[in-house]
Order: sequence, then C-alpha cells, then structure tokens
Amino acid sequence: MKEIVGVKNLHVGYGDYVVLKDLNFAINLEEITVIVGKSGCGKSTVLKSLIGLLPPISGEIFFRGEKMDYLSETSLQTLYKQIGVLYQNSALLNSLTLYENIALPIKMRHPDLPAAIEREMVNTRLSQVGLLENRDKFPAELSGGMKKRAALARAIILDPAIIFCDEPSSGLDPITAGGLDELMLNLKEFFGLTFVVVTHELRSIEKIADNVLVLDNGGLHYFGPYRDLFTLKDRFIDTFFLKDINDDYKRTKI
Amino acid sequence: MGKNVKRIQLPRRFSIDEVPGLFDEIKGVQKDTPLEIDFRDMADFDSSSIAFFNYLKKNYPHLTFTNVQPELKKILSLFSIGKDTGDPSDSRVSMAERLQAVGGKVIKFEEILKGFLVLLADEISYTFQYLLKRRGVYPGEIFNQIYFMGYNSFPIVSVIVFLIGVTISITSAEQLRDFGADIYLADLVGFGMVRELVPLMTGIILAGKVGASITAEISSMKVLEEVDALKTMGLIPEKFLMVPRLIAISLVIPLLVVLADLIGIFGGVLVAYIVSGIPPDLFFREMFTVVGLSDFFIGLMKTLVFGWIVVISSGFKGFSVERGAVGVGIATTESVVLSISLIIASDCVFALILY
Ligand SMILES: Nc1ncnc2c1ncn2[C@@H]1O[C@H](COP(=O)(O)OP(=O)(O)OP(=O)(O)O)[C@@H](O)[C@H]1O
Ligand SMILES: [Mg+2]
Repeated sequence: MKEIVGVKNLHVGYGDYVVLKDLNFAINLEEITVIVGKSGCGKSTVLKSLIGLLPPISGEIFFRGEKMDYLSETSLQTLYKQIGVLYQNSALLNSLTLYENIALPIKMRHPDLPAAIEREMVNTRLSQVGLLENRDKFPAELSGGMKKRAALARAIILDPAIIFCDEPSSGLDPITAGGLDELMLNLKEFFGLTFVVVTHELRSIEKIADNVLVLDNGGLHYFGPYRDLFTLKDRFIDTFFLKDINDDYKRTKI
Repeated sequence: MGKNVKRIQLPRRFSIDEVPGLFDEIKGVQKDTPLEIDFRDMADFDSSSIAFFNYLKKNYPHLTFTNVQPELKKILSLFSIGKDTGDPSDSRVSMAERLQAVGGKVIKFEEILKGFLVLLADEISYTFQYLLKRRGVYPGEIFNQIYFMGYNSFPIVSVIVFLIGVTISITSAEQLRDFGADIYLADLVGFGMVRELVPLMTGIILAGKVGASITAEISSMKVLEEVDALKTMGLIPEKFLMVPRLIAISLVIPLLVVLADLIGIFGGVLVAYIVSGIPPDLFFREMFTVVGLSDFFIGLMKTLVFGWIVVISSGFKGFSVERGAVGVGIATTESVVLSISLIIASDCVFALILY
C-alpha cells in the first residue's frame, strides 16, 4: 500500500475561521477513501485544501511524499497534472458543448494531439458515463445528474492518478448512481485509479469504500477501514449510518 | 420568601389568538416572582403556545408547570431549542454587512487599486505570452469575443455618437452664428468628436454593454466553481478568460472608432447643411485644416486605453466575487461604476498630457 496523499496536523478554514482542526490521515494508491459528515461540517473545505485551492491555516499536506507549497506555481502545477476533480456544482463551462467540455483538458494541455485521437478519447468517456447521444448539448440543456456524469468524464479524461469527487451521486436516481459506483470501481481495479469521494449515499459507501474518514465536531472523528467501522460501537457513527436508530427518533415516529 | 406566587390558569383553548392576552398579563410580573402555570383545563394548543412556554422558561427562573399531561411533556421537549441564540440581527442595521457577506470582503480603496494594477500587469504579460506561444486560451474564443463585442457595441455606439454629433452641432451652430463664424462649426464638431466625444462615449458604452457582461459571466463562473475547475485543470483563469477578451477588444476598437468618427461627423455635416447652410465639401475642407491624422490616432489610442480599462475592471470585479448569486449582481453594477470612473479620470489625465 503506497501513500499518495498524506495529511499532518492540518487545520483548514477561511481566514481566521477554523472549520476543521488537527486532521491526520493518509490516502493510499488504488483505494477509495470516502469522506462523510454532517452537512456544513467541512467536507468540501478539506477537499479544497487537498486539491490546492485553499491554503491550509496550518499543518502540512504531502503529495507523493513531497510537501505541497501553495505559493509555488510549479508545485501546484505538478499537483494539477495528477489530479481530476468532480465539483459539487459540476462546474462545466456553460459556453461549451458537452463534448467540448470534456475535450477541454486535452485541447488545452495537449494541443498537438491529433483530432481523431481526441475524438476517440472523448467519445469513449462519454459512452462510459452514458452521455454519447447528448454530446452536442450545452450544460444548460442537461439535468443535474447528467451534468454530474459529464463532470466525472471530464475529471478522468487525462487519466489522473487520483480523483476527488464532491458528492458525485447526490441528485441521481439509484440506478444511475449505481452505474457511477461501478465505473469508479472499474477504474480503480483496471486502471489503478485512486478516489477520494465525499458522499452521503449509504448504499454507495457500502459498495465502494475501502477507507472512511468521518468528520464531526470540527475534527476527525474516525479514519480507518470501512469494514471496521461498525465494530467500534460508536454512537455517532452508528446513528450516521442508520445502524442504530436512536431513541428520540423512535418515539417521534409513532 | 414573602413573595406572592402568581398563578395562571390556562384556558381550554390556548393558541395563537389567546397568546397575546396572556403575554400582556405576564409582562407586568417581576422576573423573580414565582410563577405557576396550571395546565389542567388546557386541551387545545399550537406552536405559538409552546413558544410562549419556552419564553417563560427562559425568563422566569421560579417557574412551575402543574398538571401537565405526559403527552404534552413530550411535545414540549421536542420543541425546545436548547441554547438561547439571542435576537437575530436586524437587516436594516446590518444591510451593509450583509451585502459584504455575499459580495465579498470590505475592500479598501488602496486594495482595489493594488488588485487592479496587479491584474493589469498580469494580463499584459499573459497577452504577450499568448501572442508568442499561442497557448492557454481556448481555440476560436478570440473570434467569438470579437463577434460578441462587435454585435453588442456597433449599433448602440452608432446611434449614440450620431445623436451627440447632431446635438452639439445644433447647440453650437446658434452660438457661432451670433459671431458670424458659422463655418467654424466644422472644426468644433470634427475636433470634438475625434479627440474627445467618440473615445469617451465609446468607452462608456463598452463599460455598460461589454464590461457588465464580462463581470456577470466571470463572477457567476466563480460562484459555480467553474473558475476553480479551470485552475485544477492546470489552466490560469486570468489568462483563459481574460486574454481573448483583451485581444478582441483591441481589435474591435479600431473599427468601432473609425465608424463612430464617421457617423458622429456625419451628424455634424447634416446639421451644418440644414441649419447653417454650409455645404458638405466646404465643411470637410474647413475641418481638415484643423483635424489631422494625428488627432485620429490620439482618439484611437485613448479609446484603446478605455477599452482595456473596461475589460480589466470588469475582470477584476468578476474575480473578486466570493460566493452567492447576489454577489454577481453587486459585482456587475460595481464594475460599471469602476470602469466609468476610471475612464473619466484617465481622460482627464490625457487632457493634461496632450494639450
Ligand atoms: N468561502 C467560504 N468562506 C467562509 N466560510 C465558508 C466558505 N465556504 C464554506 N464556509 C463555511 O465552512 C463550513 C464548512 O463548509 P463546507 O462547504 O466545507 O461544508 P460541507 O461539509 O461540504 O457541507 P455540504 O455537505 O452541505 O456540502 C460551513 O460552516 C460554511 O459556512
Ligand atoms: Mg460540500
């Protein structure tokens, strides 16, 4: 198990406002790490720090053993070459068609690639996410779930080593969400991709998670293998994963 | 302990219509008076009554509830907030703060100036980088922007400069006639249009039409994480989004200025002919004794500077939006104000340097 991202004593937040403190964890190659926690607990915030958009308040992040320097453009570019990101809002460019959106990273980073090869690559990804027929549409003409899938296609188009996904399956029906999970598992298994996924979908977590990072109360509540999660008999975790419906809830239900 | 216990018997029906009466009755009671609320008769209540009980709990330390049904107890516990969060802030007082919360931080004038100049310096270097290496900008985007800017500005600029040409000629023609100096209308219109009015009006129209849409577009991209997405794709948003616009405006403006000069002067010629009876050939002969090619180039250069001011200000305002859709609207109006202020200030500087 080789570490790709290491986090030491990390404090993250905005200005003076610390959202999460004292985070320590590691993400290993070819594993899927799921980040869970209540809405507003800071999942997107950690993610932003891991992908180089939000400098930590203090602490360190290592990428392939190198300490990340948020002020150095070269350090950031090295990071960006190896990551793909699926944003919570999908973040497709509205002025480009779906096809052009997914081709964008190729066009910009490898302008010399023959157009025919580019077309092959983009079409393959489009069909993997089930959007080939919609490739000439603009983002505004797509549903939320379609945009999410397109954004995933864009994130993986240049085969990054690690992909960060912020709620990839929120707003998707169970079948489409299941398809996305399947795709992630296949990419992990056959191409050795690593994923960090923020999600609330219990079904999806059960299916894809190797490791889980549980955030609560401004810090790390649990980090470790998913299979050990329920041996802990931890109240917050059991409630979160609906393993134990708490008493108040039972009473109000009648 | 000599204090009297204040007893209150709740009515059978105690809901939103009955709450104000009882509230008034209790308001006069000292906070440290023991208060006893009897629930025996109460059968009907709603969430306003529960809010009333919670209010009592917070404000009267010596409070007892008697004859509470077990069912009601459970409901009361479901409705308790736990901690007191105090009064919500008053929007009338803190409107400015709220606007800043959605529109970004409080920015001081020095910071605006610094941010603007830093962006300007970056953009100049990005533009040259692009012209040399042809990378970092989406293929075809410059052409799109030229089309968009031209489409947005040609018609309105034409109409406005024509009207201005007509207006200043009519106003001046009368004054000049009093001195018997009708013919000098040609000099006045020609020089005024080419050197001053065309650049200024074009700049202001660009601020309203092109600048506002640049800010709206960039700030909404910022809010929807599209700018972040560009960054993590290894692109420089300030280059990817701004360089095509800067190059486009630099190419659109020369055409726009030629067109505006011609139309503005045409307005003057028309008025001169109709109002003062000056034939066009005479008008032009007179005009060219004063207005030379150098004036045209000075006007063009001024307009180019105004165009850059518009694009840079709009980009600056667009990129500084923090989050929220309200921020987009605020940034857009602010960008127009910033562009126009900077255009007029720099026009003044030009006047000082060139005369
Ligand atoms: N740009 C920002 N500036 C200041 N505070 C922010 C900003 N973005 C988020 N926050 C605050 O940081 C905290 C964590 O937000 P974050 O978006 O990381 O939550 P989250 O766990 O991703 O929630 P969700 O599941 O709803 O997406 C919240 O309290 C939020 O108000
Ligand atoms: Mg989030």
